[in-house]
Amino acid sequence: MEQALLAFSHETGIFDFMHSPWGWPVVESLHFFGLSLLIGTVGVFDLRMLGLGSGIAYRHLHRLVPVGVFGYALNVVTGTMFLSSAPDQYLYNPAFQTKLGFMLLAGCNVLWFYTTCSTEVRATADFQAVRGRAKLIGAVSLLAWCAIIACGRLITYYRPPYHWCFWC
Amino acid sequence: MAFVVGVNLALAFSLLGLIPSLLNKRFEPFFTLHWWAVGLIFVSGVALLIAYPAKALTNPVFYLKFTALSAGLLITRRLQRSMRCQIANHQPPPDDEPSNEAPTAFAMLACWVVTIGAGRFLAYTHSVLLASRYF
Repeated sequence: MEQALLAFSHETGIFDFMHSPWGWPVVESLHFFGLSLLIGTVGVFDLRMLGLGSGIAYRHLHRLVPVGVFGYALNVVTGTMFLSSAPDQYLYNPAFQTKLGFMLLAGCNVLWFYTTCSTEVRATADFQAVRGRAKLIGAVSLLAWCAIIACGRLITYYRPPYHWCFWC
Repeated sequence: MAFVVGVNLALAFSLLGLIPSLLNKRFEPFFTLHWWAVGLIFVSGVALLIAYPAKALTNPVFYLKFTALSAGLLITRRLQRSMRCQIANHQPPPDDEPSNEAPTAFAMLACWVVTIGAGRFLAYTHSVLLASRYF
């Protein structure tokens, strides 16, 4: 896995770019910008489902979701650049593994939303509260993204092999 | 930080007409939460500055970040004030009107992009880490 990622990074030129003086900070900036796009769209929509800003139309906020998807795509691309440039620093890192777990949770949560209640939420009147299931999905989404941000910040402090972790 | 930038980006997109304007009294709870998050940024920022004063204060990128952050927050404050004036004058919220505030939206986007970029570059551009270097 580690070797395959490194080979991919070298073949595509990602490794050389990332290890140039500008590489890492530029990609980190793009990663944070993508995250902010996600929080500004999906996060605001989640808070609205939880009852904040009663009166703001769900269908209007839902129109921002493609922007959030763009932010997510930006994060997947930049995240892959980090991972393939220094795979040993990520694959065995407990903070990164936890972050991936929460990303999986957030992904399943989105699927749950779109398969069960997205149409219903978009059709909900402006001042009407959404049903309990939609609120739960909003809360799980918010918690998952907060955890993803926290784990992302912790990656640098749990670099292997300096910290022991029970599953490495 | 992600929440502060996120709310500002959502506001910028609404000013650009991507969605109907969010600048009405219904958005006020988001502003409240936004200013609490700004408070958190301030506290954590001061803590980091106290921990490594020389690292930040000797780096020009720190001043760039501080300027862009302040400008971004001033624009948000101005938007919130204009929204409150609109409500006080009993003007209806411009829910379905396309907004003509594109320059403000682009200024907001620029401020936050610079804030994020400068924040990340801070970790890579410092030339002094500890003040003890000067003693």
